[in-house]
Amino acid sequence: MVEEWVAAQPRRFPLPEEWRKVSFWKETASAYLYLLPALVILGAFVFYPFFSAFRLSTFKWSVIRPPGTFVGGGNYHYIFHDKYFWRALWHTFYYVGVNVPVTLFLALLVANLLNKSLRFLTFTRTSYFLAYITPLVAVSMVWRWLYNWQYGLLNYFLGFFGVSLINWLGDKRFALPAVIILSIWRFVGYEAIILLAGLQGIDKMYYEAARIDGASGFQVWRKVTVPLLTPQIFFVFIISLIGSFKVFTEIYVLFGGTSGPLRSAETLVYYIMRQGFFGTSHLGRAAAASVVLFGIIFIFTLFQLQITQKRVHYQ
Amino acid sequence: MRRTLVLSILGLVVFSLFGAIAMAEENVPISFWHAMSSRHQPNLQKLVDDFMAEYPYITVELVYQGGYGDLQQKINAAVVAGNVPTIAQAYENWVTPIVEILYPIGPHMTDEEKADIIDGLVPSNTYNGVFYTVPFNKSIMVFYYRKDLVPTPPATWEEYLQMVADLTADTDGDGTIDQFGTGFRPAANPEQFLNFLEEAGGSILNENWTEVTINNEAGIAAMEYAASLAPYSLITSAYMSDAFQANQVCMFIDTSAGYYYNNKAAETAGFEMGVVRVPMGPVNQKSMIQGTNLAVFDMNQTQAQKDAAVLLARFLLRAENTVYWAEKGGYQPVTKSAYETEEWENWVATHEYQQAMSAQMLDGFAQILHPNYGDMRDIIATSFEEAMMGEATPKEALDSAADEIETLLE
Repeated sequence: MVEEWVAAQPRRFPLPEEWRKVSFWKETASAYLYLLPALVILGAFVFYPFFSAFRLSTFKWSVIRPPGTFVGGGNYHYIFHDKYFWRALWHTFYYVGVNVPVTLFLALLVANLLNKSLRFLTFTRTSYFLAYITPLVAVSMVWRWLYNWQYGLLNYFLGFFGVSLINWLGDKRFALPAVIILSIWRFVGYEAIILLAGLQGIDKMYYEAARIDGASGFQVWRKVTVPLLTPQIFFVFIISLIGSFKVFTEIYVLFGGTSGPLRSAETLVYYIMRQGFFGTSHLGRAAAASVVLFGIIFIFTLFQLQITQKRVHYQ
Repeated sequence: MRRTLVLSILGLVVFSLFGAIAMAEENVPISFWHAMSSRHQPNLQKLVDDFMAEYPYITVELVYQGGYGDLQQKINAAVVAGNVPTIAQAYENWVTPIVEILYPIGPHMTDEEKADIIDGLVPSNTYNGVFYTVPFNKSIMVFYYRKDLVPTPPATWEEYLQMVADLTADTDGDGTIDQFGTGFRPAANPEQFLNFLEEAGGSILNENWTEVTINNEAGIAAMEYAASLAPYSLITSAYMSDAFQANQVCMFIDTSAGYYYNNKAAETAGFEMGVVRVPMGPVNQKSMIQGTNLAVFDMNQTQAQKDAAVLLARFLLRAENTVYWAEKGGYQPVTKSAYETEEWENWVATHEYQQAMSAQMLDGFAQILHPNYGDMRDIIATSFEEAMMGEATPKEALDSAADEIETLLE
């Protein structure tokens, strides 16, 4: 039947040859049938919320008559004129700008060290990973005590080096660095394990070839290890960049439900939560700020994909 | 014979069927959403059991929804979904945006019941002259102090300032202060400032909410006083009990709901804790009442359910019940008659700390019912923090707060 219908169509455009076959349509239909469960779930829990956030950002939210009254760009106008939004944006870039490269650098270092001596690999791997798998709230509670101004272990150790007591959580200059230190501690192990897996996957023959050619240790690292590790490095980079833009829980727990002294550790996600969920229900503003955050992450991801295509070497 | 049997069985079936329907109609199930942690749940269950014993046709399902923040979000989500509980705990600023879907409790209360509610709690439960909600778990700001370091607690603002200045010290001589006279949590607990504001005779808005008054003379006096305490204050976001236990603060203003934790901290640290009224301000000695109210929802509920929920709210207001709830949970009774019961008088007589709390409750004040109160509280917290941390002068901090609050009145 389909064949007849297709044959009857005037051939103004050259249709692909396989479209004439019933089996093609059957296969396509069954392919979509298999995709259906995933599409339904993704649609309900990813795409629908995603698009409704865009829609919500143009409304002044009302609980009684959702989504409320249409305000067009009103919410964007509000957040772009809110000094706390710009501060939150700056804090977010500060956090990402320090956290991501430093963690990656330390992870590379740790991965290389682990790769050198594989004796207690399982033990070291587990201990590095422990920081990552421990629930974030528990970790943050522990760090709250480590950071305690007068009784914290961190200040105690710094005291040995003559550093006077730092009010980590109470001084606006140290609030964000305190969050960054916690994040670095938490993610170094995770990133190092991924990089280590990459290191161990590099074929020995490249190193042998380099040695025969008389390359020095650093040259081998620079010209063999790093290029062949780029897939892992970029994977880790993208994951940690996206994750860093979304930092929230550590801040919420470290500063006891606030965003640090004088809101000095308020990031974009914290700002979104404050607008939408903490005492006030400005879901429209929260959605507008989320759209901005999405835009930022989207641009960064595009940029990274560009670089990835050019610079990442696969064996 | 056979026909009689069949008929009688049929009759029995029909009868029991109707009986079941009739019973099902009679039984009124209502859901009660709350945020009471495990420490309070047995007490709440006991009250609800008593209620169900008195009204056997009502079944109350208690639903614990997590902390207050969770409860608020779940209520909001439930309203959007049209699937609300019959009755729930709610803060004032949660219900202002949804007041039109609430079922007012006041019209179903007797005049005596209405007149019995503590004066300070009337405005925060009333819309257009009607009790929409009724108070439930209430606590009040009181003054906690270390008995070993503070033999006589301060009675006035001047004494308070003098004492904290004297007590602030670098006890181990390492160059940093390790014992503060007092402590504040400006970002987390702006109610500490609102207490000063009231005692200085100030307010956030004028009486009919047309003008911002927070930066008038009284407001500035309150903030200047707070800022004068700042050099002798531990400024933190953590609960005061942490610092209390660590010997970092000697006295502080905190809610009576914190008694349990503050006292535990004092016991752990090995000193005795006293509780008195907040120090007298230049105008009065009023203190802020906090805590939730009960709201009945008028959305997809049958009339019988709404009536049952109103009965429950009224039941919980009864003197013996609000007293039971207060004694067991560390809250304060919410009706005047409760304070006159023998039970409560005995309780206060045997629990010294309760004297200050009871006294403060009867002339306390609560938050205003402005629909934008949530935003105002945020703004006030920021300006309180700026003034306490020396980021801005008291006047600057309040002026900028006033400008921001102004935009919320439009």
